Amino acid sequence: MIAWLLSLGVLALIFLFIGHLLLSLLLIIPTWRICQRAGFSGALALFHLVPVIGSFIVMAMLAFSSWPNGEARQQGR
Amino acid sequence: MGLEIAGLLHFFGLTGFFAIVGTVLAAWMAWRIVEKAGFPGWAGLGAVLLTLTGIGSIVPLILVWVFAYMRWPRDDAALGSRPASAGSPASGYAPPAYAPPTHEPKTLAPPPMALADRRGWRLAGMLANGQSVVIAIDNAIPAYVVSRAAAEKATDLSIPDPSVGQPHARLLTAGPRLGLEDLGSPGGTFIDGARLLPEHGPRDITETRMIRLGTVELVLSRT
Repeated sequence: MIAWLLSLGVLALIFLFIGHLLLSLLLIIPTWRICQRAGFSGALALFHLVPVIGSFIVMAMLAFSSWPNGEARQQGR
Repeated sequence: MGLEIAGLLHFFGLTGFFAIVGTVLAAWMAWRIVEKAGFPGWAGLGAVLLTLTGIGSIVPLILVWVFAYMRWPRDDAALGSRPASAGSPASGYAPPAYAPPTHEPKTLAPPPMALADRRGWRLAGMLANGQSVVIAIDNAIPAYVVSRAAAEKATDLSIPDPSVGQPHARLLTAGPRLGLEDLGSPGGTFIDGARLLPEHGPRDITETRMIRLGTVELVLSRT
């Protein structure tokens, strides 16, 4: 009974991991492009692979650092 | 303040509290990001707040894709103001701005007539016995015969190597151009590594860097 529960748990973890990878991929592709357009390395988008806080890290980088390729607000000044 | 937080924690639970903080943070950051791209900040805020509605998170995900691949107002604005060196190859969205000329083009004097290239040619190489050979070719003479035998006439060019035929090839000059024709030598004639056969006739070697007669490699240059 315990072995059965353990194997079920492992299976659930595997599915969770695969699901996380797929969802991360859906976010990594557009974010990679956004980072490149902003002037950063596209590899920054790989932070999406970090569970829970990965997306926040990428967004914070884009939101609070100056873009090497220029920003609309800078050009307007 | 502590009471409010405690109330929130009681009302939503710990997970709900973090969800609220995360949503507010995400909304703020999205506001800043879309503003940097040239869009109104509320567009980013709205995209994040959509996650709170019944639509779920699929719409913000689609919006991220749209945002990544759509044209940004920042790029439009950059077209007229950014210097040519500012665009990076990775971005690809800000081609160098074209600045129309502000003055009328000046009428320039016609260029001076080009002088005819009267330089001769020089073939230099090394024989099988280690002896170097240098052959000067004068443009004034229309044809030379390359042979292993000693030169008897001004039109004879001697390359004393056993692999060179007797005669081996013919060199032809025509103004600034130089030609080469194989005369059926057993050692073979090669132009930059490609075999030249007698049936090919004369070939232009003006742009050639190296010819080979038998085993003798000769570098072609202008004098």
